[in-house]
Amino acid sequence: MSTKRPHISDHKWEQVLKSMDRREFIVTSAAAGVLTMVPRFAQAAADTYRLGLLLPVTGTGANYADGGIKAVMNATAAINAKGGFLGKHPIEVSYRDTHTKPDIAAREARDLISRENVQTIVGTYSSACAMAIQEIIHERKILHLAATSNSSKIVNENFTPYTYQFCPNSKMQSGSVVVAVAEMIKKNGWKTYVTIGQDYEWGRDTQKGFVTALARKSPATKLKKELWFKLGETEFSSYISAIMASKPDFAYGAIAGKDNRTFIRQAQAMGLFKRVAYPGGLISVTEMQQQRKSLPRGMIGLARCPFFAHLDQPLMQKYIKMHRAKHDAYPTDWACMHYDAIYGLEQAIDKIGNIGTEAVKAALKGATMDTCRGKATFRDCNNQLNIPAGYVGAVWDSPDYPFPIFNPDTMIIVKAEEVWTPTCDDVRKLQKKRA
Amino acid sequence: MLLDPGVIFGQLLGGLSRAMILFLLSSGLSLTFGVMNILNFAHATLWLLGGYITFSIFTYFGEFLGENGWVLALAIVFGTSIMVGVGYLIERFLIRRMYGRELPEQLLLTFALILIIGDLIKLVWGVEDRSIYLPIEPLEMLDTYVNPYYFVIVSSGIAVAAGLWWFLQKTRYGMIVRAAVYSRDMVSALGIRIPLIYAGVFALGIGIAAFAAGVFLPLMPMALGVDIDLIIQCFAVVVIGGFGSILGTFVASIIVGVVYSFSILIWPDGALAVVFLIVIAVLIWRPWGLFGTELRY
Repeated sequence: MSTKRPHISDHKWEQVLKSMDRREFIVTSAAAGVLTMVPRFAQAAADTYRLGLLLPVTGTGANYADGGIKAVMNATAAINAKGGFLGKHPIEVSYRDTHTKPDIAAREARDLISRENVQTIVGTYSSACAMAIQEIIHERKILHLAATSNSSKIVNENFTPYTYQFCPNSKMQSGSVVVAVAEMIKKNGWKTYVTIGQDYEWGRDTQKGFVTALARKSPATKLKKELWFKLGETEFSSYISAIMASKPDFAYGAIAGKDNRTFIRQAQAMGLFKRVAYPGGLISVTEMQQQRKSLPRGMIGLARCPFFAHLDQPLMQKYIKMHRAKHDAYPTDWACMHYDAIYGLEQAIDKIGNIGTEAVKAALKGATMDTCRGKATFRDCNNQLNIPAGYVGAVWDSPDYPFPIFNPDTMIIVKAEEVWTPTCDDVRKLQKKRA
Repeated sequence: MLLDPGVIFGQLLGGLSRAMILFLLSSGLSLTFGVMNILNFAHATLWLLGGYITFSIFTYFGEFLGENGWVLALAIVFGTSIMVGVGYLIERFLIRRMYGRELPEQLLLTFALILIIGDLIKLVWGVEDRSIYLPIEPLEMLDTYVNPYYFVIVSSGIAVAAGLWWFLQKTRYGMIVRAAVYSRDMVSALGIRIPLIYAGVFALGIGIAAFAAGVFLPLMPMALGVDIDLIIQCFAVVVIGGFGSILGTFVASIIVGVVYSFSILIWPDGALAVVFLIVIAVLIWRPWGLFGTELRY
């Protein structure tokens, strides 16, 4: 770390973040950890808004979390440059690594609440981690902004009024893929398919959402085989051979993070995509950037919050400008959703003029806010933001970027209302199961 | 479907590839334990570090020479050499102090190494995955597609196995290493410097791990946490094969890899369970492993 930045105070985020990169973030986090051992001044405690950031820098989710961490740091730095929330409540971010493991996420959430007195926890990435902390935040009455954790259970079966979901949930996401896949089934006469997914909450929920929605939309299409692999799998050849051996017309993957990158890389080298169509797998801006050379062109993928789909939105323009200035890179889906979470929180606080948790929670309830994906409203019955459910498109080389994006001419943007749990009565029935 | 030669070939090759990945990683672990009685829990983390170093060397040379297989081979040579040095230093300054200590103390030290190396990786390379791209075109064989790079991995595994066998059985140094397994005092009494033997063996184990990491780079990204997933599988392999037995590690890797691969085809939900059922069976009926010796156990 530079000697010019020896102290990290609540008011100096801007200076700190100006030249911060990933490595320095780790050093900074360590320094922040040391600072927590120093007694705090009473005035600072009263003025400060304490924000807990729970994201993994270890495990399969680390690949996406990088964007989220940068976004939260950038957004809070920008807000702090104006004096903080309402111009007088500087934000202090306490970061913890979940290791993409629910038990660690729960432990760190408890610690953030007990020792750091955070008022809001943002992040979590893994749905399993998000669900693990929901009991805690519900009991301790702490806000939870699920920026990217998207199991549908987070807002349905496991619902708590303290959680607000800024990303499309897994059922919405699967539903949006089904919209595109159903068209392809009709066009290509596909009859059978195979699924492969990560064997944990999100993978299971996403696969189930896809299979259920497809059965409704295209009942003649049969599921031949389900393959599940443990999180962090490094060797997919046996799975890929098994998919090819089943001779399906297409395969659907509920895979994210590092595993997604490894799977696509190995599947491509094994010729899976030459033999079996693979529509609707997660291809976020992270994959587009990291696999710019190898990502099969024309492959149909799904993104959650791709910057190039909303270049006309003022907030997206702001995020892109901010991100490029700080990191010389375009924001990933995971960054955009975290920017929206922080600026969503700011909008709620601005609306009511105070930072009290219960008041902010009430302000977010059913709120309509500006996001990088346009104006969006939280669904009254489960706090799900009605941002687009999915962006389904074909990987395409754009002359405007040094990596491929989805071809804008053919990209389908599916509205939330088309694919989410149809009525609030249906949602409430699911929520009753939690009690 | 199961009798389709293409299907059998595909699963077999996939299983062998997994087997060789496990062997390349486990052989150093087994060797270190067999010779030095040190259970190096950080073995896979040192493998990961080797992967990151090889990645950086590949990227550096790739800028001048282009990113291709030759540059990868060069990077593997440099990466492995650096990690041999790292392994030597770790043995010299840390592991050496653990000889004769209880297993929990060894585990504590090597677990501390996992945390330290993990943080070092975060500081130097950040938290994003690191991998390299080689344009590998699939090969059509027996009515199925295979990744030709799997032949490189399988060949590497066989070459390392053969090299280790030759080294341990046919060279003077190898004979000293084997003798040291059974009687350190006697070897020492012959005027042979046991600490040097141990340092060499530890460095060799880490070198094989680093070599493996370089070979895997075109297939799998190096990422924090992968090491922990892999070390558990490595322990399963060495338990089945027998700690200290290179032949046992080789055979156990093939058993685990091939059984896992065909289980995915036949009973995908139980593939991992089948592997650990084998581990349980071995622990009950032959706790010293298929090729381990009761003396060692």
